[in-house]
Amino acid sequence: MEVTSVVQLDQTKAKDEYPNLSLRPLQVSDVDDFMVWASDEKVTRFCTWEPYTNKEDGLNYIKNIVVPHPWLRAICIDDRPVGAISVSANSGNDKCRGELGYVLASKYWGKGIVTRAVKMVVDTIFVEWPHLERLEALVDVENVGSQRVLEKAGFQREGVLRKYFIVKGRSRDRVMFSFLSTDYQS
Amino acid sequence: MEVDLSKITLRPFKLEDADDFLLFAGDDQVTNYLRWQTLSSKQEALDHIKDVCIPHPWRRSICIDNCSIGFISIFPFSGEEDRFKANIGFGVAAKYWGHGIATKAVKMAVPQFFVDFPDVVRLEAFIDAQNLGSQRVVEKTGFQKEGMLRKYAYMKGKLRDMFIYTFLSTDLPANP
Repeated sequence: MEVTSVVQLDQTKAKDEYPNLSLRPLQVSDVDDFMVWASDEKVTRFCTWEPYTNKEDGLNYIKNIVVPHPWLRAICIDDRPVGAISVSANSGNDKCRGELGYVLASKYWGKGIVTRAVKMVVDTIFVEWPHLERLEALVDVENVGSQRVLEKAGFQREGVLRKYFIVKGRSRDRVMFSFLSTDYQS
Repeated sequence: MEVDLSKITLRPFKLEDADDFLLFAGDDQVTNYLRWQTLSSKQEALDHIKDVCIPHPWRRSICIDNCSIGFISIFPFSGEEDRFKANIGFGVAAKYWGHGIATKAVKMAVPQFFVDFPDVVRLEAFIDAQNLGSQRVVEKTGFQKEGMLRKYAYMKGKLRDMFIYTFLSTDLPANP
């Protein structure tokens, strides 16, 4: 997420500005809204994937990845998707761990939307998945905006994992954040 | 006991190592922080050597006078996205602890592994927060501690905090 020059005011302003923020499943019928963020280079800058260039690929992604996903929601304003947030699942000895990911259309950056969405996920995921002990997120070292989202949502920064990914031919360091079920106080 | 570290060597496992293998792989002290179940018979040792050690992409017996007293295992991940990463584990028979043997063995293994697997850039060691001995081994070998991962995974049924240490191919000293 981009660092903007506008100082972010308190969360109540964002709530007033976008009172109708909700999470719901992302469907095939949402493909046009999906393409708005998925085709945007600014949005995919720190992602492992390239921007989408055609609607057919978008439809295939929604049908093959989104629909069967263990936990993926569209971030909606007035029930229209402006981004997505997901938690991956692991099995066996790693079942205690899920990875958080999120993406938001660039026109909505800098308004605290993703921070609110992350908080909504934290409020629900440990209840929906009682076996989950640790929600983690890995953020590119240069993606300061996204690091701030997680800090504001109460995640703990654990360290920098060096050359954790090779993305688009370059090795990238990632910052590891976590939120434990025991960190959660209702 | 005096241990001459110049007598430490690494080599692939052989079926003939089964008795020696059982001495450490059959010891709860050694397997405490490993994913393996403690072995309990020579047959299990033979099966483990045949089914796991020998086909393994990079597993070596740590030897004194060619006799197996421990192991080092380095497992490169598979898949297009992950094959530049690998994971290291090691163990030494309890009677040989405290002599710097694991440190010596890891120091020998790491550069050789990067030669054998030139695509690997990042070698990871996940070490239980309570396993001070292994933390010291990797620190002395030049691994960097990146952080503590809280409640990262189950190990033998218990949820564990783990330190993540890494040695990058770029951490190797430049060729002399």
